[in-house]
This record gives sequence, C-alpha cells and structure tokens, in this order.
Amino acid sequence: MADLSVMSEQARASYKKKKRRDNGKTAGLIILFTILAVLIIIPIYVLFIASFKPGDDFVAYGLNLNPEFSKWSLVNYDLLFNGDHNYWIWFRNSIILTVITVVLTLLVSAFVAYGFAAYEFKGRNFLFMIVLGIMSVPFEVIMLPLYQQMSDWQLMDTYFAIVIPFLANASTIFFFRQYLLGMPKSLIEAGRIDGATEYGIFFKLIIPIMKPAFAAMAILNGMNAWNNYMWPLLVIRSEDKYTLTLGLNTLLNPYGNNYSLLIVGSCFSIIPIFILFIAFQKYFIEGMTAGAVKG
Amino acid sequence: MKKFFYSQKAAPYVFVLPFVLTVLLFWLGPIIKGINLSFQDVMKDQWVGLGNYQRLLTDKIFWKAVSNSVKYCILTLVLLIPFPLLFAVLLNSHLMKHSNIFKSIYFLPALTSVVVAGTVFRLMFGEASESLLNQVIGLFGHAPIKWLKSQGTAYFALLTLCCWRWTGVNIMYFLAGIQSIPADLYEAAEIDGASKWQQFKSITIPLVKPTTIYVLTISIYAGLAMFLESFMLWRGNNSPNNIGLTIVGYLYRQGIEKRAMGYACAVGIVLLIFVMIVNFIQLKLNGTFSKEER
Amino acid sequence: MKRKLVTAILCASMAVGMLAGCGSSSAKKSGGDAGGKTEMKVEGDNVTTLNVWTFIELHQKFYTTMAEKWNEEHPDKKVRLVLQNMAYDDMHNKLSLALESGKGAPDIADIELGKFPSFIAEKDIKLKDLSDAIAPYKDDVVQSRLDIYSKDGVPYGLPTHVGTTVAFYNTELLEKAGIDYTTIKTWDDFKEAGVKYHKATGKDFACAETSASWMVNLMLAQKGGDYIDASGKVNMANNKELKEVLQYIKDMQDAGALATVPGGQPDNEEAYPHYNNGDFAVQIMPFWQTSRFTNYMKDLSGKVAIAAVPKFGDSDATWTIGGGGTGTAIVASSKNADLAAEVMAYIKLSPEANKEVWNVLGFDPVNTSVWTDTSLTENPDNQFVKYFANKPFQPLLEMKDSIGSLKSLSDEKMPSINNVICTQLLTNIYESGSDIDSELKSAQDTLDNEFSS
Repeated sequence: MADLSVMSEQARASYKKKKRRDNGKTAGLIILFTILAVLIIIPIYVLFIASFKPGDDFVAYGLNLNPEFSKWSLVNYDLLFNGDHNYWIWFRNSIILTVITVVLTLLVSAFVAYGFAAYEFKGRNFLFMIVLGIMSVPFEVIMLPLYQQMSDWQLMDTYFAIVIPFLANASTIFFFRQYLLGMPKSLIEAGRIDGATEYGIFFKLIIPIMKPAFAAMAILNGMNAWNNYMWPLLVIRSEDKYTLTLGLNTLLNPYGNNYSLLIVGSCFSIIPIFILFIAFQKYFIEGMTAGAVKG
Repeated sequence: MKKFFYSQKAAPYVFVLPFVLTVLLFWLGPIIKGINLSFQDVMKDQWVGLGNYQRLLTDKIFWKAVSNSVKYCILTLVLLIPFPLLFAVLLNSHLMKHSNIFKSIYFLPALTSVVVAGTVFRLMFGEASESLLNQVIGLFGHAPIKWLKSQGTAYFALLTLCCWRWTGVNIMYFLAGIQSIPADLYEAAEIDGASKWQQFKSITIPLVKPTTIYVLTISIYAGLAMFLESFMLWRGNNSPNNIGLTIVGYLYRQGIEKRAMGYACAVGIVLLIFVMIVNFIQLKLNGTFSKEER
Repeated sequence: MKRKLVTAILCASMAVGMLAGCGSSSAKKSGGDAGGKTEMKVEGDNVTTLNVWTFIELHQKFYTTMAEKWNEEHPDKKVRLVLQNMAYDDMHNKLSLALESGKGAPDIADIELGKFPSFIAEKDIKLKDLSDAIAPYKDDVVQSRLDIYSKDGVPYGLPTHVGTTVAFYNTELLEKAGIDYTTIKTWDDFKEAGVKYHKATGKDFACAETSASWMVNLMLAQKGGDYIDASGKVNMANNKELKEVLQYIKDMQDAGALATVPGGQPDNEEAYPHYNNGDFAVQIMPFWQTSRFTNYMKDLSGKVAIAAVPKFGDSDATWTIGGGGTGTAIVASSKNADLAAEVMAYIKLSPEANKEVWNVLGFDPVNTSVWTDTSLTENPDNQFVKYFANKPFQPLLEMKDSIGSLKSLSDEKMPSINNVICTQLLTNIYESGSDIDSELKSAQDTLDNEFSS
C-alpha cells in the first residue's frame, strides 16, 4: 500500500489516476471472465433446470434456458432416490473404482518416476523414451487386441482388468519425474546416511514431499477414472458391476429411454468429482506448477 | 539375493519394474498382436497379407473419417492453445480479482463425463425450434437449423463441446507454466519500459514453451483419437453421411459392430503410425529431442 | 525397514486382490433384486441352468413366466433361467466378441434383426441349427419371419412377433379434414388424401422417413424389388423398383402429402410428440408400434385406427411385410444347446406363449393360430384393445396370407446396406433434395467399395 500522505501533490494525482485506470482494467477483466464463466455454466445450468422438468419434455423440445417453473416437480428426484433402478449401485461402483484407481496409480507411478528421477542407470534414457512414446499411443489402437488378451486370461468382467493396465501410467510417471527432478539430492543422501534402504527412502522421505504433485495427479487421474467409458464398456458384462457412465448410457437405447433418470442422474454424477476437485484445488496449481514441464 | 535387491545398483530396476511389466504385457503385447491381426481376415481365419491395408487405401469412408479427425484436430489446436494461454495470462494478472472462483468454474466441464456432456449437447443442439441453439438463432430471426445433420454445423457442435470441456483444463496447464516463470524477469522488463504486449511476446511465450509443447502433444493425440464425443452427440456411431465419423469411430465400427477384427486392427495401426509421425515432426520442430537426448 | 517394505507390498497386492474380489462378491449379492440380472428359483433336482442375454428388460419377465409353464408341463426337463439384461449395442457387441473368442458366451441370446446377419455371415456359424426345435410349430408360424433368421434354408433364430406393417390413422384429425381412412386402398388414394389433408389443415399427413426405411421397404417389397440382385450383389444404382419407390415418395413429398419429421421416422423419441400433438396424422409402421402409442402418444387414446396398408395394385408381389424384430438364438457350443432350443421354441412359438406375446408385449404373435381367438384379440380389458379405435387384429387377418419380406433382410450385407440407406440415401434425398439417381449411384459406390474385398 502506498502511503498517500508522504507523496507529493503531483505523485498523488498520478497514483490516483493509475489506480483508477487499474480499477477500470480490473472491471474489464472481471466482465470478460464473467462472460466466459456464464458461457461455460450454461450447459450445466440447462442440465440442472431440466432435472426438474418432465422427462418427455426435453426429448421432444431439446434442452433450453427457459426455466418454465410451471412444469417443475420433484418427480425425477423422487425417481432417483426412491425408484426401482440400479443408479446407486453404479454410483457406489464408480466411487470404489475411482478411489482404488487413483490410490494405486499414484503409488505405482510415483514409485516408477522416482526410479527415473533419482538414479543414473543403464537403459534409463531408452526406457524414458518409451514413457514418452507411450504417452502418444492412442489407447484405442491397442483396445481390441488388449480385449482379446484379457479374455484369454479370463479377466473379463472384473475390475482388475479395468485398473491393472493403467497403474504405471505414462503421463503420470512423466509428471512425477518432472516434479522429482526438482527435489534436493541431499535428501536422498541424508536418508542413506541414516541407514534407510533405497525403498525406505522413497516411502519415508519422498512420498511426504510429493503431496502437491499427488494432489494435481489425483485430480487428473480421478477425473479420468470417474468418467472412463470405452474400456469398462468392453470389459464389464454384469450390470451390477456397471459404473456410472456405463449405467447412465444404458438408460438410452432403441427400446425405451429413461431420460428422467438420465438427466437427474447426470446432475448427481458431477458432485463427487467436483468435491474431490474443490478439496484438492488449493494444491492443484501448486503441484502443477512444481511439476510443470520444464524443457 | 536379498542384499542384491537392496543394493543401489538393483534398486532403480526394481523401481521401474512395474512400468516395464506394464509396457510388455499391456502395450507391446497388444500392439504386436494388433499388427499380427491386421494381416488377417479374422472372420474367415485367413492370412491376407497386406490385403487390409490395400483395402484401406481405396476405402472412401475411411478417408472421410481421416479427414474428419484431421480437421477436428487442427481446429481444436487453433482454438484450444492460443485462447487458454491468453486467458491464463489475464487470470494471472495482479489486476484480476477472485481468480480462484473463475478457475473452479472453468474446470467444472472437464469433470462431467462425455456421456453426460454429449447427451446435454445433443439435446441443446436439437432440431426443435425450442432447443437452446435454435432459440438463440431465433433471437436473430433465423429459422431453426438441423444442427447435427449437415457438415458445417456438425463440426460447430463438436468443437463447441470440445472447447467447453477442455478450455478450463488448458488454462490450468498454462497457469502452472506461467507461474513457474521467475517474477523478476517481468520486473526487469518493466524497468526497461517494455509494454505488457512486449512482455507477453518475449517473456511469457518463450518461457511457457515446454507447457505449450506438452499441451500440443496431448491435444494432437486427443484430437486424432476423438470418438466418444461424436458417439454421444449422434447417439451411436451413425451420423448422417458420416459427418461425425472419426478414425477411432471407424475402428469401432469395423472391429466391434461389424466384427471385422483384422480390418479394424489395420485401422488402428494406421492411426498409430499417423500419431507417431505427427508428434515426431512436432517435437522435432520444437527441438525437444535434442534436449532429451543429451 | 525391511518389514515395512514387505508390508507395503502386501498392502498393495491386497488392494489389487480386493479389486478382483470386489467383483465376485457383489455378483453373488445381486441375486434377484438387481434390475439387470434375474434368476429363477426352481425346486427339485436335475434342473438345468440356462444363461440368457437380453437387451429388452420386458423380455425377461416374459421368458420367466413361460419357463415356469414349461417346468409345470415337463417336470423331467426342468430349467432354471438366469437372465442378464444389457444395453442394446452393448449386448450385441459383447455377444459377438464372446462368440469370437469362444469364452463367456451365454446359452441363449436375443439378437436384433439388424444385427442378426452378421452372426450368420461367417463360414463357421456359432449359432445352433433350430430346424428340429421349430418343427412342432412350423405350420402355424409365419414362414417369412423364420426366413429372416435363416441362412441357406437353415433357421438360426426364433422370432418374437410378425411386425406386420400396417397403417395407423388419427381418425379425429382426418375426419376434421373430411377424409375417411377406410377409403384409402391404394398408394394413389393415400397420396390424394395426403394432399387434401395438407391443403385443408396446413399440417402434415405422414412423414417421409430419413432415419429408417419401414415404408420404403414395404413399397419395395410390394413392387417385387430388393436391395440385392439374384446373384447376391448389392443393387442400388440400377435398381428400377427402388428408383420408382423413391420417386413415388418424392412426388408425395413435393405434392405436400409427406414431410420430414424431427428424428426422421415415427419410432423415435423426437418424433412421438409431433404425432401426439397432431402435427402428423398417419404412420406406416410395423404392428409393434402399438406399444409406442400406448407409452408415448397417450393423448391419442381412442382416436387411432389400425388399417391394412395401401397397395400399388392387385398385381403387387406382396401386400405387406414384417418389420423389425428380435431372433432368439442358441449358442451351438453350449452344453445344453438341445434342451435350450426346445425350451425356447416353446417359449416363443407355442400358442400359449403367443397369447402372452399379445397380452404382455402388445405384439402381433408369430403363431397365427391365436389370431382368430377373439376372446384373446378382442378382450375388452386389454390395454391395446382399449386404446385403439377399431379392432387391432382386423387388418392383420385381412393381410394374413400375404405377409412377405425382403430377401436381403437376412443377407450379411444388409446391416451395411441399411446403414447407407438410413444415414445417407434417404437423408440426402428427402432432407437436402438431392437427385435420386446420383444418390443411388453414390450409395452403390459406397457399398461396392466396402464389399470389394
């Protein structure tokens, strides 16, 4: 804060002018970003008001901005909470699957990334090139052969088959390695002097300093796991193992749709992942910045 | 044995072991299997050599899919790199207030699944005059449009969906990149009398380049491999005149819907080569390899 | 320290193990109450368990009801059905992958007509030949509905209904416009009525389909045409009958008798409300559209009459055709394939079962012996009898001896042909006003290209 009292008359005037100009700019920026925010909120707003309208309605007339309060009712919500459907089973499955995926992926990927970041060893660069390479292999390319392989191994219809191929996740490893490159080597040395084993150093000393990076990757991996569709669609067969995305999509089929449940269910499906995001958001930018791609 | 396991020599290999196993079992194995299958007609259980690839060369629908994917990819790059970068810079400005609220809002779409987002967008782009987009153009006196039935408007819908979902995420990536730029660089420039634009041009852009390359790489990948968005927007893989068909959509159609596993694998291998080449060129141009190979 | 590491690894492996365990334990719990899976409870020993995959939830109740009847009548061959319902695309995709890999396939599966040809396309067909199982019912069952699930004369699927194509008229709207639907006998009458209706009301009479081909298929069959020629090749570009049909519909559209409807066809969620609120008055649809009326067009209760479809003339190749459908197939490699075939034939083709088909599902039963049972077809408590303005079975009986089909429906090329028709050909002609000849040519090119290998 500038102390106005000690400023000369002229400086005070110019400061005030600048301040006013800055205030104008701030207002301009806030207006710009508010417009952007409104545009981004529209589809979610539309989804939200639709959850109070009768299901047949938006099928016939599409989704729109009119609230049409006269048509509002809690019928859809009643269906969601009291209806005869599997929504909450899917919800539970999604949560279980997301938590397991995130925890294991972070652990395994950090483990691998530490190997890349902390040691010089033969073949390291070659292996790291593979990490980079795999980051740019579209999963869809291997989807069909991988499916056949899983089926050969009798792993179809298990969560195991959904999670296991992605535990050592290339882009997460890449990110963690970037992050760990910035860690002080003295930490490792200190650990060794204290008599910790190589693995002990990782679990005891490294994991605690990775919290921001974990937060950032928890959000990105959680997002992917929560919304994952293609691979679970191929792997999962029994409806009682469906995840939310799979289940919601079954509500739409050529033999009768259930838009009421779909819309209200979609609305609800955003909530857990949003909570996760809000919870970790504070660390998110911090973690992303620390692990930001440094050339 | 135990001693060896704990030795500093063995440890790095133990650390990277999960990754090596994953690569062998879940990437290399399937890719080799895919290449192998791509030379076969799986239904007839025949070896067809390059037959599937020859067929791809003259398959108009495949080329339609390729052209759709490439156009989509280029347009997403044009929209999803400069704008998020600009927004990130502005959000990061000391003049901006309450930027955390905005950041959360912009991130919200990425948290909705494509299944949900696609359905909402399909209904917003509905044919009826009451649907959102027709309502909007109605304000300007335009008659309702069948958005998802012609090429131009279909791309518009796809791109809107894509920008809606990813603008916020890319803003976050760029924000992270920008915040890792040392602040004294800007202060020095300020003292030298550089304008904001000059600072943006000669400090921000060069220094967020690693982030830009990262975003570029994943965007190329995501653009060329796009499928679910189209699948949800048209409620299946059947858009009129294949206006929404993508390379992966074609792979899905052949491999899953038509059970032509061999042909589908050929599509997959072509996609793989395609993505590899584009990314290689891109990384080469940006000089990433020279640094990595050090 | 060592112990810590071991614990950590143990923890991780336990977590992984949990994943696998998770699935199996919840599967056991699901029992009968989870919507997707239904297991019958059957008393006694020597009960054979059969796994069934369906994609229509309603079929599950129907199958279990009929299986219970079977068990009563055949105490020596009791079965216990375990039914699993999946989404439409999902089920077909998984079935095809399971048959391909030879693992995880059920004993019995419902396969939709549009998907059926791809299951009997390959040399080594993985479905069971059902000739013996069908034999006891063959005389009463509409032959053309067995043919669509057959290859080289061997049946592989059991039909659920006929899907006789009929005309649904909104009598209230037509009367206001001074039109008596009973006088519409030919397509020319139909067109004339349509023009008159459009002039009188400014609204649309019927729709020109763009995303389905119920009416196109019907008219093509009436003209004796098809999408493939005698030698089995795709025939679009030089298909005289198809060209005539498309031109006839185009003329009707130009004259104002037809217009395109949102959703592109009457059996579409976007289209229902336009029929329900009177924007369109007439539908040419398979008989099963009855259930769409009672579910999605409730305002029209008591106003809709079902009639025989118009013809071109008395020399037509057939009067009507069956449309849509689901063929129940038996997986050949199943241990209990023979029993499964026998049971399912009973469940789908016996007169007892066909009564239920009408009562529960509202379909026109494929076993025509029940069509004349007026205590069934005119039962005043039946929801469909209540809904429609006339007797629903009347037009069926009228056309009973002339229910044909298109030969191409069971052809392995049909899914692709149908895809081109419903995503390209019809949209371009009736939405964008493209030239019929050049559109047929481009459809031919697309398909030739696909089947060239």
